[in-house]
This record gives sequence, C-alpha cells and structure tokens, in this order.
Amino acid sequence: MAAGRRYFDEIEVGEEFESPGRTVTETDIVLFAGLSGDYNVLHTDAEFMKKSIFGERIAHGLLGLAIQSGLFYRTGRVYATLALAGLKWKFKGPIKIGDTIRLRTRVSSKRETAKADRGVVVVERTLLNQRDEVVQEGETELMVERKPA
Amino acid sequence: MTTVMAVTYFEDTALDHVVTSPAITLTAAHVSLYSGLTGDARDDPTLVPDGLPICISTGLGWRVDRPPLAVMAFMSMEWQPIRTLRVGDTIYGHSRVATRRAMREGGVVIEEHELIDQRGEVVARGRFTFLVARRPV
Repeated sequence: MAAGRRYFDEIEVGEEFESPGRTVTETDIVLFAGLSGDYNVLHTDAEFMKKSIFGERIAHGLLGLAIQSGLFYRTGRVYATLALAGLKWKFKGPIKIGDTIRLRTRVSSKRETAKADRGVVVVERTLLNQRDEVVQEGETELMVERKPA
Repeated sequence: MTTVMAVTYFEDTALDHVVTSPAITLTAAHVSLYSGLTGDARDDPTLVPDGLPICISTGLGWRVDRPPLAVMAFMSMEWQPIRTLRVGDTIYGHSRVATRRAMREGGVVIEEHELIDQRGEVVARGRFTFLVARRPV
C-alpha cells in the first residue's frame, strides 16, 4: 500500500484540490483509439475534421475522463479508494491536440454505508483547459475504506 | 457514383432498438496500457481500473452489425459500476435506444448500456447521451 493513503474519516467535506496540468497529444488520442477500439472520425480523420466545426481532430470525451482520473492520483494525498460507486459526467467542450488540461475537485458530501468498513465520498470535478474554459465536469461517488479500528 | 459513408444517422435510429456486442477478454496488457496512458493505476495490477470498462464498452459498439452512430458530440454520461472486474474477465455489452429527440441540427439519442461478464452477471450500467447528425440531403 502506498504511504499516506487517506481514509474516509480523514477526508473533509469542502476540501479542494487542483492538479498539475497535462498536455494532450496526438499520441494520447491514437493510443486511446487503439485501446478502446473507438475510431470515430472525430478523433482519427484529420481531413474530415478540417471541414468540421472543430477544424481539427479532437480527443475522445472518454480520454478526458480517463486522464482526469489519473490527475486525481497526483494530489499526493491519495484516497484509500476501494471502487468507483457512480459517475455523472458532462462533456462541455472539445479537447484539441496540444491543449493542456487540469483538474479541480471539491468534496461535496460524505455518507456512511451499511458496511462498517467503508463510506461514500462524493467529489465534484471540473476539467479546465489552458484558457480556463470548462471542457468537462461532473461528479464521482467513491467507495473509500474507513480507518481500521 | 456517390460514396456513402458507413454511419448510422439520426434518421436510421429507432426507439428501443437493442444491440448486443461481441465480447472481449480484459488482459494485463489492457490494464497496463490504460494505466500508462492515463496515470490511473491501482495497487493491485490484477484489478481493472474503473474507467477502463467504460472506454472498452464504447469500442465494443464499433463491432456490432450496424454502422457506428454519426456522433457530432458526446454530451453526457452516467455510469454505475456494480462489480469490480479483474484481469481475465470477459465482458460484452447490450445497448438500447431509450430516447430519441429531433433537434434543429441532428438529434439527441440516449443509449442505456449494460456490461455483462462471462457468468452472465451485469457488472456495470450506464446511460450515454449523444448528438447525432442527420442524413445529409
């Protein structure tokens, strides 16, 4: 287990975090297309996309979602997460090749569960680009371990 | 001769239409590629990161007997994992068109998804909302 994992009891409602930035590259998009099998022209056909409203290829929405979940691990204060319990997510704007995205989070609530060894932490998340535009936002419910007695 | 792109336009979608995908076995390679790409890693490398089945499920939708949706924008999604997946599990997807609503440009299609494992158990449920292009005139 990594040191400094934070248990349910140690996470405070209202606490906020902003991650480092990450520049999304063409390589990220190509790898993600191969991994997911999603070859939509939005992400893979540069010529088609020149004529689109975006003017160029854009990242898969789910690539942004996946990258933000990695950025959340860079808090340096990782939760003792057992599992994702639920996700609500909105894709507000495109992520283009070369854009640098970062994650802002806030713990909006916590609740105990029927099991004594775990609780649910609700985290509001906003994914911003280098112009401070919100490209994605949503809420995750995380099942987090309670501090062993 | 005109070239027709192999996509499903809004007009081609039908309410309650169900699609079942082929299956895929989740391997250590998937987990390691996903973790390297996203930075989302778990302490136990045999556990499948929560985001990976979501990503794989969209790709499974490309291997069905219907051309992919002419997606103009992926608008929103909800996802509820039910069981944690491990390396070696084999999953496939069911999706159903739950809502279709014509808009001025294109139409909104909401798909309800279920991911099912090799034991026939539902391991995750989701709802995906897409803006889909109309057939060009």
